[in-house]
Amino acid sequence: MAIARGGVAAVTFVCLVAPGAALAQAQADDPMAVGRQMLMEDNPGELWIERGKKLFYEKRGPKKASLEQCDFGLGPGKLEGAAARLPRYFPDTDKVQDLESRLLTCMVQLQGFNRDAIVKSAISRPASDGSDMEALALYITSRSNGMKVNVSLRHQKEYDTYKAGEYLFHRRAGQTDFACVQCHGEAAKRIRLQDLWHIDNPKHIGEVASTWPAYRGAHFVVRTMQWRLYDCFWQMRLPELKYASDTSIALTTYLQYRGNGTVIKVPGFKR
Amino acid sequence: MGKACLKWTTLGSLALLLAGCATYPDPATTRQLGEKMVSEDFTAPAPALLKRLVQDRSQQICSKIGGAQLTQQEAAEVVELARASMKYPASGKLVGDWKIGDKLAHDGAGDRIQGGRLEKRKENGGLCQNCHALAPGEINVGNVGPSLTGYGAQRGSSEAVAKLTYERIYNGWAYAPCSNMPRLGATGHLTPDQITHLVAYLIDPASPINKR
Amino acid sequence: MAEPMKIRAILQGDVADVRILMMHPMETGQRKDAKGEIVPLHFIQSVVVTHNGKTVLDTQWSQAVSRNPFLGLRIKGAKPGDKIGVTWVDNKGDKRTDEATVAAPS
Repeated sequence: MAIARGGVAAVTFVCLVAPGAALAQAQADDPMAVGRQMLMEDNPGELWIERGKKLFYEKRGPKKASLEQCDFGLGPGKLEGAAARLPRYFPDTDKVQDLESRLLTCMVQLQGFNRDAIVKSAISRPASDGSDMEALALYITSRSNGMKVNVSLRHQKEYDTYKAGEYLFHRRAGQTDFACVQCHGEAAKRIRLQDLWHIDNPKHIGEVASTWPAYRGAHFVVRTMQWRLYDCFWQMRLPELKYASDTSIALTTYLQYRGNGTVIKVPGFKR
Repeated sequence: MGKACLKWTTLGSLALLLAGCATYPDPATTRQLGEKMVSEDFTAPAPALLKRLVQDRSQQICSKIGGAQLTQQEAAEVVELARASMKYPASGKLVGDWKIGDKLAHDGAGDRIQGGRLEKRKENGGLCQNCHALAPGEINVGNVGPSLTGYGAQRGSSEAVAKLTYERIYNGWAYAPCSNMPRLGATGHLTPDQITHLVAYLIDPASPINKR
Repeated sequence: MAEPMKIRAILQGDVADVRILMMHPMETGQRKDAKGEIVPLHFIQSVVVTHNGKTVLDTQWSQAVSRNPFLGLRIKGAKPGDKIGVTWVDNKGDKRTDEATVAAPS
């Protein structure tokens, strides 16, 4: 199976559309922009939004309950704008949680699912149907589409988590001596043909904060921030990052807060 | 909202209480929280592999936050530790086979941990192509590190150049403390023999990296 | 049953710009799964697009088309409210039909 290498996605177009004026301009300046724009306008990831919606409202699990009583920070079942404020502190668990860890909490408490079983299947195999968690995370985040990332650090634990995330972002370890900052700490850098976003570039970090979950072209499934963090540690030759762990939430808090103000638009499209 | 809170933190805790913001944790507390997370939040197929997360002294020094600079003392310490770490191949020959080095330089795989398993192959890839331009005309190369195109053509292939090149790959922090370059030999990612092949790939006039 | 397609049909003058996203594995029959076994051939063989019931596009696909494929086309002589129908049939005999309405430009 062709796995995409480099910056161009492996999605084949059976396309009879002639590019419009806007695309032609993009072509003149940057030929890759034409492809990127087409992928953003017609993103296969959108097909998982409906699936996520169905999973959200369906009565599931041993307790045969839907997720409508799940509180994502704005009250039970209130989805509009909720993802934009995550990660945030939750009094019922007394911790800062991101979207996926919050979904995990609710799937266990409200629906009676086994935590380990969900964690095991949360990240799907490439070229599969995708996981429930991926569809749910995408659906709930899509309910914040058009709204600005708005993470608050008012609660002491939120602030502590942010600072921990900053610490972890710079923590060098392992045989590569890499921390996140080694790849994401300088402008105009790339690994092979993959452009690297720059932590000090507001536009870049805004994109990081507003385009996950995203369709990963090379994997043909929707990927989430939890997966993205896991994958970075994999490449750095470090041990496996636990799903929905405090480390993952701290790093997510650090990134999301720095992306505050960016308009959310999911699913994103990654190579 | 958050930005206003950060500004107020510099005016002292009374101002913070008045502004209703969280207080600024001191670096030691943050470090403690961060290290607790690291100790709990990772799995590996064997306990020895979890040790990859433990920072050595140099990594601790080199994990500066927010553009904080190395002090002269810290830089000197990192350089000294790097010098002390140097190990050379038993044969004493620092220049190997550039053809092997060529393959190694383009190999980005090996030693990763996924799904409870370690990606063990006969040897680890050099990872060079990920960050460095290599032979002229190659497109699929990174720019996190400086271009190595024409490395030998520019420097020659004397014994001194070979030794310097070997050491910069084995532990580049002896020359540039805390640089982004992994200490590939010192950390054990590459063996001394593997590094000799990379040295040859870089400095041998016959190597593609030195072709026009 | 397979997931519904996502069909957008936006009018530009009297031409409808139709964009279709389909969810389908489009297995080439050459890929090996995690166990090392060949994943069997499974791909969309034909796609038919209709405009108010009349066939405007009748295509034959092969396994060369990628997973979760996209199809775009322009249909002349369209008006707001017109029905666009899309049907695919795959080599296992599964089929899927979805419909959309042509929207006026916003």
